Amino acid sequence: MTKTHQIEIESVILFIISAGIGAVFALYLGHKPPTPNKISLPVMQTQANPTAIPTPTLTPPVPKPQTTSQLSPDGTKLLTMAVTTNKDLANTYTFTTTNADNTNQQTVYTATNSAESMSIPFNTWSPDDRYIFLTKNTSAGPEALVVRADGQPLTDTEQNVNAHTLFLAKNTANTYQETTGWASDTLLIMNTTSQDSTKGPSYWLEIPSKAIIQLSTEF
Amino acid sequence: MPKKNTHPKKSHKQSFRKNHNSSSYLKKSSFFLITAIAAFICTSIFTAQPTQATCANSKSCKSDLSEKIENNTPGTFAGKTVYPPKIEPQSPQTDLAVLGISTASGEKHIFVDLSKQTLTAYQGTSQILKTFVATGKWNKTPTGNFHIWEKLVATRMAGGEGADAYDLPNVPYVMYFYSDFGLHGAYWHDNFGHTMSHGCVNMRQVDAKTLYEWAEVGTEVSICDQITDTNQCIQNNPVQK
Repeated sequence: MTKTHQIEIESVILFIISAGIGAVFALYLGHKPPTPNKISLPVMQTQANPTAIPTPTLTPPVPKPQTTSQLSPDGTKLLTMAVTTNKDLANTYTFTTTNADNTNQQTVYTATNSAESMSIPFNTWSPDDRYIFLTKNTSAGPEALVVRADGQPLTDTEQNVNAHTLFLAKNTANTYQETTGWASDTLLIMNTTSQDSTKGPSYWLEIPSKAIIQLSTEF
Repeated sequence: MPKKNTHPKKSHKQSFRKNHNSSSYLKKSSFFLITAIAAFICTSIFTAQPTQATCANSKSCKSDLSEKIENNTPGTFAGKTVYPPKIEPQSPQTDLAVLGISTASGEKHIFVDLSKQTLTAYQGTSQILKTFVATGKWNKTPTGNFHIWEKLVATRMAGGEGADAYDLPNVPYVMYFYSDFGLHGAYWHDNFGHTMSHGCVNMRQVDAKTLYEWAEVGTEVSICDQITDTNQCIQNNPVQK
């Protein structure tokens, strides 16, 4: 080995060692776990419950329907669900829409169920207040029922459509999981799980054409 | 012939070798130092954490962030035409007394929980508003502690590319808190409680209006990765201002 070769090998080794040391040092500094900020939220004021004064009941109480409601995103419409328990313990669900000032009441959906409950999701209203989706909680999971907000039939032949049923008819390899809300005035977002139980792709259900469109992004 | 003293020559050679050696060490040390520094810089650049986006709306943030009321101009979102709500130039003030807001006192503070997709507004220890929001899906909503620096009753927001391109006139009740990242109403979707924005905090118009009329320029906004059950706002990688 000539002296020149020896010098070259020494230089290469020195280069590798010094580059390695530099890189390791950089990685060490760069991978220091950042200290997360922690801020305390205000402690909420609590109000002591005033003592309730018992009042005598003179007549048998008439069961009042339990009501819940959800305002449309623009604040102009209100969807109300009234639940009445019947003598056979089945529940009757009545959904009505009104203007925010309680005028122009329309009944949009009524059902009597003993095994399934119904509810109003937060994102029930389509952005243009034209459609509503309701949640039916079945033993197999939540289903979404789409109706028109003015009480008219959704299509010429159907009063409403069930997003879960339409998804099953599409026969994809993924399993319907939930309907989250509206991507636009006519597009309902459905999430799925894939066969290996991981999060599957999201789909749009287009109203009123009932087309189901697979998306490249997951919602 | 007298014998020549070779010692000075030898000494000169030794001195030369010595000098040569020390010069070589100096060269090697410099080489080592320069290579190590270069490696450090290169590694730091290539392994650097991606910085948070400084712009939520890639097109409109480069033009201007001024008030624009365009009541009869349709917009585009997700490839669909959308129609904005009508915005009055001077939005009438909500009767805050009706909402029980006017009685609250103390500092105003807005907290956004990215993990639960909720917004909570406090004045002192009184909770003014709690609602679902839609934060960044295409760009991450920056975490950190900010202040509202601008309030606009409506403006235009545009950005995105290809199928994700959007151009939205009359975005209502905008409260910018960092660059063009803002809290505002969204009329083009109703998917709150799930990520759905390009980095802003989307709210229902009805909630955005309430917040807009309550909040002020300077109101603190904390964007948290998570708010724990013990009411701690956790910010893992906050924006360094």
